[in-house]
Amino acid sequence: MSVVALTKKILQAALFYEIWDAMKVTFRHMLHRPMTFQYPREQRTIPDAHRGALGLLRYDDGHERCVGCDLCEAACPSHCIKVISAEDTTRPLQRYASEFYIDITKCVFCGYCVEACPVNALAMTKMYEYSTHDKRSLLFDKKRLYDIGERHLDDGKKYLYAHNQEKNVEQSREYRYYFPQSVQKSTQPPPKHLS
Amino acid sequence: MGLKPATNPDVEAVRIELSIDGKSVTAQDGVSLYDVISMTGKIIPAMCYHYTFDPFGSCGMCLVMQEGKKAPVRSCTAKAAAGMVIRTEGEDLFLARKKAVEKHLSVHPLDCPVCDADGHCELQDMAFQHGVTNLASAKQKFIPEDTRSPVLDFNMNRCIACAECINVCKDVLMIDALQFMKKGGFNQVVAKGDLALDCEFCGDCLAVCPVGAITNKFSKYLYKPWQMKTTTTTCNYCGDGCQLHLETKDEEVVRVTSPLSWKNKWGDRSETAKGHGGLCVRGRFGFENLDSKSRLTQPLVREGGQLVQKPWLDTMDLLVGRFTEIKRQYGADAIAGLVTARCTNEELYLFQKLMRTVFGTNQLDSSARYGHMNFVLASKHAVGLGRTPNDWEDLTKAKAIILIGSNITETNPLTAVRIKEAMRVYKAQVVTLDSAITNIAKLASHPFLIKPGTEGAVIDGLVRATIDQDLVDEEAVGKHPHAFEALKNAVADVSLERLAAQTGLSVEAFREIAAIFAESTRSIILCAEGIVRRTNGYQNVLKLMDLAWITGKLGRTGCGVNTVTEEPNEQGAVDMGVAPEFFPGQARFDDPAARDRFARAWEAPLPPTGSSAHLVEILKRCKSGQIKALYVLGENPLATLPASMEVRAGLERLELLVVQDPFLTDTAKMAHCVLPACTYAEKDGTFTNLEGRVLRVRQAMDPLGESLPDWHIMTALANAMGCRWEYQSPNDIQAEIMKLLPGYYNLGQPRKVLPVPDQYLSAGYEAEVKARYRPTPLSGERTRPFALLMGQVLMHSGKLSTQASGLITIAPNTGKLRMNIQDMERLGLHDGVKVRLISDRGSLQLGVQPDQSIAPGTCFFPEHFNEPPVKDLMTVSVDATTGVPSFKQIWVSIEQV
Ligand code: SF4
Ligand code: SF4
Ligand code: SF4
Ligand code: SF4
Ligand code: SF4
Ligand code: FES
Repeated sequence: MSVVALTKKILQAALFYEIWDAMKVTFRHMLHRPMTFQYPREQRTIPDAHRGALGLLRYDDGHERCVGCDLCEAACPSHCIKVISAEDTTRPLQRYASEFYIDITKCVFCGYCVEACPVNALAMTKMYEYSTHDKRSLLFDKKRLYDIGERHLDDGKKYLYAHNQEKNVEQSREYRYYFPQSVQKSTQPPPKHLS
Repeated sequence: MGLKPATNPDVEAVRIELSIDGKSVTAQDGVSLYDVISMTGKIIPAMCYHYTFDPFGSCGMCLVMQEGKKAPVRSCTAKAAAGMVIRTEGEDLFLARKKAVEKHLSVHPLDCPVCDADGHCELQDMAFQHGVTNLASAKQKFIPEDTRSPVLDFNMNRCIACAECINVCKDVLMIDALQFMKKGGFNQVVAKGDLALDCEFCGDCLAVCPVGAITNKFSKYLYKPWQMKTTTTTCNYCGDGCQLHLETKDEEVVRVTSPLSWKNKWGDRSETAKGHGGLCVRGRFGFENLDSKSRLTQPLVREGGQLVQKPWLDTMDLLVGRFTEIKRQYGADAIAGLVTARCTNEELYLFQKLMRTVFGTNQLDSSARYGHMNFVLASKHAVGLGRTPNDWEDLTKAKAIILIGSNITETNPLTAVRIKEAMRVYKAQVVTLDSAITNIAKLASHPFLIKPGTEGAVIDGLVRATIDQDLVDEEAVGKHPHAFEALKNAVADVSLERLAAQTGLSVEAFREIAAIFAESTRSIILCAEGIVRRTNGYQNVLKLMDLAWITGKLGRTGCGVNTVTEEPNEQGAVDMGVAPEFFPGQARFDDPAARDRFARAWEAPLPPTGSSAHLVEILKRCKSGQIKALYVLGENPLATLPASMEVRAGLERLELLVVQDPFLTDTAKMAHCVLPACTYAEKDGTFTNLEGRVLRVRQAMDPLGESLPDWHIMTALANAMGCRWEYQSPNDIQAEIMKLLPGYYNLGQPRKVLPVPDQYLSAGYEAEVKARYRPTPLSGERTRPFALLMGQVLMHSGKLSTQASGLITIAPNTGKLRMNIQDMERLGLHDGVKVRLISDRGSLQLGVQPDQSIAPGTCFFPEHFNEPPVKDLMTVSVDATTGVPSFKQIWVSIEQV
């Protein structure tokens, strides 16, 4: 090792050069605007297309949209949905989900279920805060899912609009599938997204 | 194959040659072009075609181009002709088919998400296959759903008018309950006359409907096909042994489907002689007992007059203690066992092994004793074969069938379908002899109504008429001249005129039936409950054997004397040796060679032959106190036998009554210990059906609660009693049976054995036949005006089906006596009126209802229900040779109260 190099090394050691070098980043950032949010005091604005917790929606007249067709269960790649269907004896030709479970711990938030649903009963919301001490409470049952849907109805609809699944509520019934009772006109124009 | 096989199945149709997609193909003349194409392995779409019936040609999917024609032709209705040049593929055909799909969809509700067919729908598949994503104009039919029938709902919005439902009902099942009707501008399927559908409810229409237009009420909207696990197993209700698919979600049976389905539309028509793959109402809609709330899920032990739930370990401990104690104190003969023929072969085998080697008793019996044993013992005696000689194919291709004492469309509906096919396709002459106006009689070429209880007399007359008209087969009787001489002498006193008066058949009828039977090349006799479950059953079967012998039908292919079994595995019970007279394989229990063989195989001493006892004897010994412990596996003698058998008194005397059953039966309610057993849906094994075909039973779901399969319980019991049984699964038991009875399983095919009567005819026949044709005062002289008959109805099977809520919805216990309408008018009765029903045994009050199947002078009550306890009016007569108790008929008076 040369004398120059040795001197440099000793000098650096004496002046704590390494520390100053490392602190450089810190000092530089003292002059910046902070990048982090003060979560949970501050909340980020979430885009409409965000894939958060799933909720079940109702029509404006209060009827459950879900017809228990089980397509979401079939579409789900992580097998976290379970639908048990039954006949809705109060209305002719209707079935509904008598039980509905989503194991949100397994959900990978792919949104396939929402896409599969022929009546847009499922929507993703902006809700993502559901950490808990009891893992069992993360098996969302039908009631919980409708609660989420109700509380986050606007978000849910916005999600569907953002994903081009629903234009507005009036059209929602006609937009994808329709059912004998819900059709007013006997001839229906082809769905817009297909024409 | 859409061709009706030639009337004579032995004659071949002419072969022709035609070209399909450039390949030259040979086919039978007159076959549907569609069949010829599918024979080459090409599948072209077809929505209204099914091989089991003639093509209808309404869907317009099966289009092909025929050279020389401008427009595509429908290949299903076109007949193959020599020299045709056919093209089955191409853009133009694809577009034409796509147009057909669009036409169907344009009047379709497209409510797939709620539709039960979703995912199992041919229209959906076709729309997908042809890329139909848009419809130029769509219309809705707005037809309200027809929910009038108790089983099937018709949603005609979804119907594509393919007529498969109508055709299967009319052509295959010959029930003809459906029709098209123009309503609201659309052709709709309705029940005949647009009434509420009230048919046999076999559900085959549901199975062949390619869309979701027909749904069943018991599973409606409860499933999507992809949610369910499908297990192919064997039906547990009757001896036909139909294959069925149990579709389950976890521990719940959602629906039952059949191999017959629109999905299996390609096949060979001549193959339906072996079965068309359909089911009957019991098989298809009687599944709700499997996961019913009333199933037993925990062992029960009697404590202070009450049955209380106990863990398995405690129960078994107690049980083993009691059994050991009883055996030590009173000897092995104080223990007896009864088993139901609804168990698998493996379990039946294990049961007799348990009784014989562990308990050391030969007091054991199965429910085959209620009738089937009459046939088995008679047939074994006469021709050395203890089962039916003919299978379904023989039956279908028979030229003449005598159906005696059988309401076969009710008891064995799928065997009945074979007879219907024999009539329809092979033009068989069918003679029915029964004391009820049966459904099969309505279709038969020679239906005869006989007086109740005269089946035996009818056979006397037939034998006599055969000999009188010299219809005997010289070759057959020539071999045994002495035997024939003896038979001739025996029937010398039989007078047709007297029999005519007794049975209600005319002398000409006797002659005609005898001639039909003797002169056909393939003649089959089928006797059922009217013979084997009535008095003199054993002798009557032997008489039928005589009839078959002298006409040369014994031992000839396609001919023979047959029976049907009521429970799924009655044949298996006999074959597995669950009868005091038999070892497995029907070896005689008292045959020293067989005893030696089994003692060595089982490495255990066998009980002596002296103390054997069958059902009736066992119950007698219970009552006399000789038997102290009874192990009842699925049997229910208390609810089956009339009060005069004093079953209750017998069971009350027992020190230990153990009942092993999926349900708390009447007998179980009296037990000291009830073990929860599994149903057939929860275990593996095999059943032997009435053809002698060994069929697989497969586990569809986990045992309910703490219930266990019967073989498991028996193995545990044997091991606790100090044996070393190392069965881990039914497979191990099967392996043992295979070793002892090589060839028994025979890969599920019926074992063809030609019956030989030579031994029987050459030794001892003369002495035996002498008494056989003596005019007997039939089933007690007519002391009262009406004959009360008890028997099976279509919707039920034993007491098991009464646990299936669906079947109870279709056919509830009306609690009413069924009578002929004319009799009711004569007595001034109408529906619901209460009468007093009096027999020599007692009387009871019940309502009456008219029933068109009841002959004048008779009345009927289904044997499945004991409310009111009509069975207790019956007397029991026990067959001297076979020990079969018969208690299904008695003379009664009916008085209005
Ligand atoms: S978002 Fe994806 S993973 Fe989650 S439930 Fe839906 S389909 Fe399943
Ligand atoms: S896909 Fe939609 S309608 Fe169907 S079960 Fe799922 S949420 Fe309900
Ligand atoms: S019948 Fe088929 S196409 Fe029609 S609604 Fe049902 S599943 Fe859809
Ligand atoms: S109900 Fe089904 S099987 Fe019958 S005609 Fe309609 S679509 Fe065809
Ligand atoms: S005919 Fe017998 S075996 Fe076949 S489905 Fe009906 S009950 Fe079951
Ligand atoms: S299959 Fe030929 S027209 Fe339907």
